[in-house]
Amino acid sequence: MFYDSFDYWWWPYAFITLAGVLPTAIWRWAGVFAIGNIDETSQWLTLVRCIATALVAAVISQLVFFPTGALEQVPLWLRASAALGGFGAFLFANNRLLVCMLVGQTILLGGILAIS
Amino acid sequence: MLVRDETTGNTHKGVYDWSWFPRGMANLFSLPALILISAFIGFGGLAREADLPLGQLIFMVPAIWALPSHLVALGGIVAEASLFVIAPAVALAAIRMMPMVMALVPEIRAPGSKRWHMLLVCNMVAITAWVHTLQKAAEIPRPGRLPYFAGFASIMMVSTTAAAATVHQLAAGFPPIVMAGLYFLTPLYFAASIWNTARVLAEKLALIFGFALGPLFALLVPQASILLAGLIGGAGAFGVHLLLNRKPPA
Repeated sequence: MFYDSFDYWWWPYAFITLAGVLPTAIWRWAGVFAIGNIDETSQWLTLVRCIATALVAAVISQLVFFPTGALEQVPLWLRASAALGGFGAFLFANNRLLVCMLVGQTILLGGILAIS
Repeated sequence: MLVRDETTGNTHKGVYDWSWFPRGMANLFSLPALILISAFIGFGGLAREADLPLGQLIFMVPAIWALPSHLVALGGIVAEASLFVIAPAVALAAIRMMPMVMALVPEIRAPGSKRWHMLLVCNMVAITAWVHTLQKAAEIPRPGRLPYFAGFASIMMVSTTAAAATVHQLAAGFPPIVMAGLYFLTPLYFAASIWNTARVLAEKLALIFGFALGPLFALLVPQASILLAGLIGGAGAFGVHLLLNRKPPA
């Protein structure tokens, strides 16, 4: 079954629900049911949190190294330096979110202007 | 039954003190809210480039309500992938919702809370309001915590959907450098806010491992790169955690 399998007006909404909404929501519901049974200090919860964090980190690096849309036109070295520079500045500035955003964006946008 | 709140002096009926709902909403004017709205401006632009109709975008933003899932789902639609390819990929990107909910529920539960309350409110769990509520919970009396979280999350759902929809209508007029900057907000924001919510060193290691392994596996096994980077990176970080916390031999 594909996004354009059927011509009904409601099919894209059904497709988004089946392909995007339910596969996300199911983990939230699972979390509500699991918290009743799992000890909050359990080592298993630490493992679950580590895997969850690494999964999102992989999504982040996907956005930096294999982006879509306008970022695709930006050279890889510039994307990588903006990401690492922003995060490095963030660590240097006592974990301040604003510093990460400002430095990362300055490197990226400054680099785009400089090479164009 | 009327309950008097010791901290605020308010009285409220029932399990929750809904006077905290508008206080949660007031976080619309905060840096994390501004960043999240900007990230959804970027998503609105992506949806426009993908030719996703406006109605579907307006449905998708609050119904999915997790930016990695949005990106994976939209990417799958653009790639004309099958439902049976997109749904597992979205599910993998959303696994972290489970531990996030598990961390939040004990904080926002009030005496008299029912499981169905949690099943409803958990659909609003996403990084911004989650991080903020976890940090703030200790200052809020228990009956106010769920309303506070729901207030912040719901104003974010409305404002990000409005931002994405607006840009969807205007994006053609935006220069590429503006769109590039907006798209880049998401990875910067995710990396920094996850780093800040990590409770143990192992979670920071997991962030580094997953980030480094992602592109490596993308070259080796493109179809399963996110899953493998997550499982191996996460398990590796947990292994280091076990080594570091090993009890010294008696």
